[in-house]
Amino acid sequence: MNGQYGVLNPWAEADAIPLRGISPRVTDLTGKTIGLFAGNHKIAARPILNVVEERLKERFPPLKFSWFLFGLSLEVTETEEKERFEDWAKGVDAAIAAVGD
Amino acid sequence: MPAVALCNKDFAIDARSAASGKGMPGLRVVPETVPCECTVTEKIEAGVSAVMDDIVAALTQPLTAEEKSPKPKEVEKLPRIVFKGNLEEVNRFFYKRGWSDGLPIIPPTEETVKEMLTGTDLPAEHVVGKIIPRLGKATVEKIAINAVMAGALPTYMPLLIAGVQALMDPRTYFGIWEVSTGSFAPFWVINGPIRNDLNINSGSGALSPGDIANAAIGRAMGLMIKNIGGARKGVEDMGVLGNPGKYTMVVAENEEESPWEPLHVEQGLSKDDSAVSLFFPSCYSQIWPYGSDDKGILHGVIHNIIPGRRGLFCLMLPPAHASILSDEGWTKKECAAFISEYARVPAYCHPEYYCGGTIGMPVKERVRVNPMDSMSILRSPDLIRVVVAGGPGNLIGLFTGAWNPGTDWVTKRVELPADWDKLVERYRNIVPTYLRY
Repeated sequence: MNGQYGVLNPWAEADAIPLRGISPRVTDLTGKTIGLFAGNHKIAARPILNVVEERLKERFPPLKFSWFLFGLSLEVTETEEKERFEDWAKGVDAAIAAVGD
Repeated sequence: MPAVALCNKDFAIDARSAASGKGMPGLRVVPETVPCECTVTEKIEAGVSAVMDDIVAALTQPLTAEEKSPKPKEVEKLPRIVFKGNLEEVNRFFYKRGWSDGLPIIPPTEETVKEMLTGTDLPAEHVVGKIIPRLGKATVEKIAINAVMAGALPTYMPLLIAGVQALMDPRTYFGIWEVSTGSFAPFWVINGPIRNDLNINSGSGALSPGDIANAAIGRAMGLMIKNIGGARKGVEDMGVLGNPGKYTMVVAENEEESPWEPLHVEQGLSKDDSAVSLFFPSCYSQIWPYGSDDKGILHGVIHNIIPGRRGLFCLMLPPAHASILSDEGWTKKECAAFISEYARVPAYCHPEYYCGGTIGMPVKERVRVNPMDSMSILRSPDLIRVVVAGGPGNLIGLFTGAWNPGTDWVTKRVELPADWDKLVERYRNIVPTYLRY
């Protein structure tokens, strides 16, 4: 119990991940197409975005919405939905994502 | 595209960790108060309405300099000898750094790690893989350090290395299950000659404490998931209730008393191979069979599978029950087919009936049906495995996991070092002796 121990570090090294900035914002939502991305199998994702859609419509009446429903606990870009997702992303001015948690 | 992520306020740290892990630390996250997986409209409306200004701001407010061009966080450089102290001080230090699992650890000194490394021919700096979510490098030395901490013997090293390889196989969906709210725990099944070399329990109380191998192999893997992969409870690992199986959940299959071919042979390896198989159940339950014949055993199984999980499944049968089934002509595959076909509930008991199907369900499973129609609990016999383990007595184990496309059991061959037999001899006799009283 009283012996002295010099101990090695169990925490692993990791290569630095290249960092990216986030995309520039839109100046105003008026007239924009907003993407709504339900990105999980969890049941609350879609109704949360339904409420977001309703509230935004009230505040910015000419808004358009484009939905992308992805029902798996995976990264969409690592699935066969990748192409459809990328096409969808090109068609929106800004996006709001919810996972239900 | 400008984007914002909505999440429950208690998942905000997790969301930001995930974004940083993907190289985008500036991702704008709006925490809200909608209860997780909420189905109550009023609560969703209230939680979302309260953050509408924040959502609009997240999409319209100009970027800060840091958001435009994030700078890497300074990584703490730790010396090779990270701490010096007595047993208690070392344990306190590791615990406070978040490097232990709460139980006392064996200090990983140069000497103890060197001894652990005798369990493999691979060089200490060899990278077995990078463990998610942090993509920490699982060098042979880091595996050995965590193995020492867990109380493992050097002979466990080949199995631990194969365990890391199993974690990295995408079919395990380790990256999902390790951090999921569902608190999935790795369940390790060991097959082949290494079971006996390491004295891995396949008999009475195989899943209970008391055997170094069963205890330390699972514990070492858990420490590696935390210290190499970087999945920490309540930070990245968002398991709601947690799972005692995360301490350890390791059994050997009792191949000697099984009437069937062992799991690793079903998985494509040869009987003489040593192997580790893995899947991530969230639940383990024990049931009494309804009778001691084949009908009683299988009906006990099919009527006790919970309908809330619909993925991978393991039936753990003690040898006596396996023999009864085998004597009646049942194979492992036929048991799996029977369970898949007849484990059913009335539709009104099935989660898909209640919630109308979650987004990911195939359309045909989302359709509401007559409440008294039967719905199958498990998706396919291919997701079911039967493992023979456990002692005398009349109980059966059920392990229930989840599903994603391509989810499967994963089995890896264990590669042994050249002087394996000598190494085994050195540690083989470390077994408990229980005196009668």
